Amino acid sequence: MTVKTSSFRIAAMWLLTALVAIAIAVLSLPGKSYSSQDREQLLAGASAQHPAGTDGLGRDRMVRVAAAMLLSIAGAILASAATTLAAAGIGTISAFGPALLGRFAMLVCDVFLALPWLFLLMMVRSALPLTTSPAHSAVVTFLVLAALGWPACARAVYQGALELRNAEWMLHARAGGLRGTQIVRHVLPNLTPLLMPQFLICIPAFIIAEANLGALGLGIGEPLPSWGGMLLELDNSAMLLRTPWVYLPIGLLIFILLLLEAVAVEV
Amino acid sequence: MKSAAGLLKRLARTFAIVVMVVAGSTILVRFAPGYLSDAREMDSRYGDATRIELSAEAARSASLKQMLSAEFVGWTHGDLGVSRQYDVPVAELIAPRLAVTGGLLLRSIAFAWTLALCAALVSSLGRNPSLLWQTPSTLLLAVPTAAMATVCMLSDRGGPVLVMTLLVAARDFKFLDRLLRKAWREPHLLQARAQGITTFRLVCAHILPGIASQLLALATLSIVTALSALVPVEVIFSVPGLGQLAWNAAMNRDLPVLLAVTMIMAVAVTFAGMPSDGAREWQGA
Repeated sequence: MTVKTSSFRIAAMWLLTALVAIAIAVLSLPGKSYSSQDREQLLAGASAQHPAGTDGLGRDRMVRVAAAMLLSIAGAILASAATTLAAAGIGTISAFGPALLGRFAMLVCDVFLALPWLFLLMMVRSALPLTTSPAHSAVVTFLVLAALGWPACARAVYQGALELRNAEWMLHARAGGLRGTQIVRHVLPNLTPLLMPQFLICIPAFIIAEANLGALGLGIGEPLPSWGGMLLELDNSAMLLRTPWVYLPIGLLIFILLLLEAVAVEV
Repeated sequence: MKSAAGLLKRLARTFAIVVMVVAGSTILVRFAPGYLSDAREMDSRYGDATRIELSAEAARSASLKQMLSAEFVGWTHGDLGVSRQYDVPVAELIAPRLAVTGGLLLRSIAFAWTLALCAALVSSLGRNPSLLWQTPSTLLLAVPTAAMATVCMLSDRGGPVLVMTLLVAARDFKFLDRLLRKAWREPHLLQARAQGITTFRLVCAHILPGIASQLLALATLSIVTALSALVPVEVIFSVPGLGQLAWNAAMNRDLPVLLAVTMIMAVAVTFAGMPSDGAREWQGA
């Protein structure tokens, strides 16, 4: 990794941390809530009371953007961690288990990879009960993303673990009588260079998937703020002419995705 | 003989994947917590007796065995089940939309490949990955498809083909650039360039045949990328294709239609992946 790339990555990490800190600070301000409405100021522009204006229901846009950012980053990190752990487990067990198990696991991976994400997400989301609460819809959205994201990562881990299995030091270790649990203790640290990029790549992918799903009305339910829900504002051309602050969510989302991409690149 | 056996093996694997996709999706839908809920049960205009009747009807159709057999029978008969929303065979809803979606996908992927391949060929000739080529693709990948489509529609510039082309080209460019850069560093190509053989000849005679299997794998990935962008693009631009049908089915909880569209997509992706598997095996041999 070059010095230039490394410093760029560190700068991106600091910027992301700063954005998260600002979002937490905005949400901690007294009297600010993502769902509280100011009925006197619907679709208002920037003011001292509402620095980024309000949406069509009179809710403070800055607070909603801050909440959406924290929700999507936290959800995507947790989903990415779950999917990476699942991939690590499945890939390692398949590589070190019987050959038949490995082949079956890769067939299951093929089945998942054959299903386009968005269609499966839509299918699961539309089959939720009609009375699903917004919090549940958020949990389900990220759970489904985690459940669908592991196969590509598991394939990479499987190949990496197979190479480790056939490595000379591993043959020595096995010949020396190392037990399965002891082998895993040595394998997992060696798979970290493979797992870390997968974990980092999944975070922006999950954020963008949630935004796309939300923009179709199938993401996190209102009044919980989400990127997708706020992108729906872009559909209203009258609103676009009235205040430029409507573009804040999409601008910030793209900026965050670029920062995450910079962090993920060449880890 | 050996190649015929290999082809048969690949076909059997593809068939197994398709069967597993059908069975897995049906089980997933059946055990989804809201499968048995019907929007009509919440409608106050229906009386208590009718609501009980609706619940009983939903429970009757909830047997997994019945669902799976209905799904397979529907596929073998060619009607793909009956739509809950429109009460017509799903095949009747899908057939006219296949051509629309197919045309959109074909045009987008063809334009995207032309754009990505040309850009990657020019970019890979430089010594290091340049910001001029990398920045647009990174930016395009950071914009959600729905937002890109909305901006295009509101500004009245570009249509569904442009949005899908840009998205697929941005993703493909990243892979192609890396692939070509690696290929140009091969010792025999360095030697050939030093001897003054034209770039065009090198690309046609050495580079493209050498990376054919990776290109085929990338083509499969392009289809997956285009399919993922299909729903937001068709919904926002009101294109009467499969993506719009799937979204409509999802909003109205018409699960037989959604299941059938998902199956078609899975079958398309699985079959699209077959040539790349074949090419990889052939190159390995």
